[in-house]
Amino acid sequence: MTTKKAVSMNDSTATNDAPDWGALLARVAENDDKAAFRAIYQHFAPRIKAYAINQGFSQHAEVLVQEVMTSVWRNAGKYSESLASVSTWIFTITRNQRIDILRKLNRTRAEVVIETEELWQIPTEDTTICSIQNLSTEKFVKTAIDKLPEEQMIALRKVYYEGKTHEEVAEELNIPLGTVKGRLRLSLQKLRVMFEDKEI
Amino acid sequence: MSGYHPDDMTLMNYAAGSCTIPESLAVAMHLCFCHDCRQHVKNLNHLGGALLETIKPASTDDDAFESLMASLEPHAQSEIAQVKMEPTPSEKITQHFTNPLLRYLPTSLADLPWQRQTKEISKYDLTSLINVKGFQVALQKINAGAKVPKHTHKGFEYTVILSGGFSDELGVYHEGDFIARDASHKHSPTALQNEDCICLTVLNAPLKFTGWYRVLNPFMAWS
Ligand SMILES: [Zn+2]
Repeated sequence: MTTKKAVSMNDSTATNDAPDWGALLARVAENDDKAAFRAIYQHFAPRIKAYAINQGFSQHAEVLVQEVMTSVWRNAGKYSESLASVSTWIFTITRNQRIDILRKLNRTRAEVVIETEELWQIPTEDTTICSIQNLSTEKFVKTAIDKLPEEQMIALRKVYYEGKTHEEVAEELNIPLGTVKGRLRLSLQKLRVMFEDKEI
Repeated sequence: MSGYHPDDMTLMNYAAGSCTIPESLAVAMHLCFCHDCRQHVKNLNHLGGALLETIKPASTDDDAFESLMASLEPHAQSEIAQVKMEPTPSEKITQHFTNPLLRYLPTSLADLPWQRQTKEISKYDLTSLINVKGFQVALQKINAGAKVPKHTHKGFEYTVILSGGFSDELGVYHEGDFIARDASHKHSPTALQNEDCICLTVLNAPLKFTGWYRVLNPFMAWS
């Protein structure tokens, strides 16, 4: 277990004594446990809302929070520690709901179109990968991103959390497009190397 | 295992949910074939999860939790349904990633009502299923050994091979391969000899045929 604390992070809530979110989700699925769900909500809803605001959902930010948390409640029983950590699982739900809301807002007619869930599939079955690997990957990712230079992290955050295109990131940071692409590419290369070193 | 993959940037945009629907279809289709890219997307999802933890939280409405609770159904009902839907062991094995088009195709690839483009090339259009302005999406079938007329791209083209294979000036491609081409390429794919080639093509601008074939431009497209 690592005791190193993130130095570059401006938020300090991601500590080692974080609750066992997986266990709380299980209580939600099995007993409709309101207290457990409240704990999950209190931690994740403000983050989902921040994500929504960053993505430009000013009026619909709370809608996204409600949609995601409804999905978390409904699908709590499908969560499996062997597939992802709870924050990764919630990230994928949030991403998909965001896309879904945008698609619905843009739709003019009630056409049959391919479902968001088909395009961004969230695994629900435990296949062959063992659970320890995924959970340690999670911790590993956290330490790995701490090793990235701040300028690369800023570019990654803007892509992941503000839904910015590379062009928009360049404009906002007032740097050439090539530099943005370079930073992203470098950060991905570093992460890939770190991931590959680690893979069993 | 396929040999041509989406680049890191494309996979990241997919995992971040910042690519377009047609692009995500091409990536998702490749993921059906490629264990390595599935693994990488999983890592990129972990990155998303880790970033979600480091985001600066925003304040939520005071009564939001209680009003949400009031709208939620207890689990008992859906739980029973879930047990019934327990997949059989064979489904579990193939459930890594399912073909995203499966539910939308009327029949198997071989039996699709292909629309003939030339004697040797036919397509099954998916543009309306994807329904994103500026994109043409289709399944394309090239008879074994047939050649697609030389064309250039105005925007970009993603191709994922679903069966068979083809070659062009830059390489030989097989089932599962993900090929990205942009405006700088002028190519003429030729299906491999022994088998019809079926692929998914995603195109973000109309194609331009070069040479004599330009007369076909308004009527025929690679996608
Ligand atoms: Zn791949």
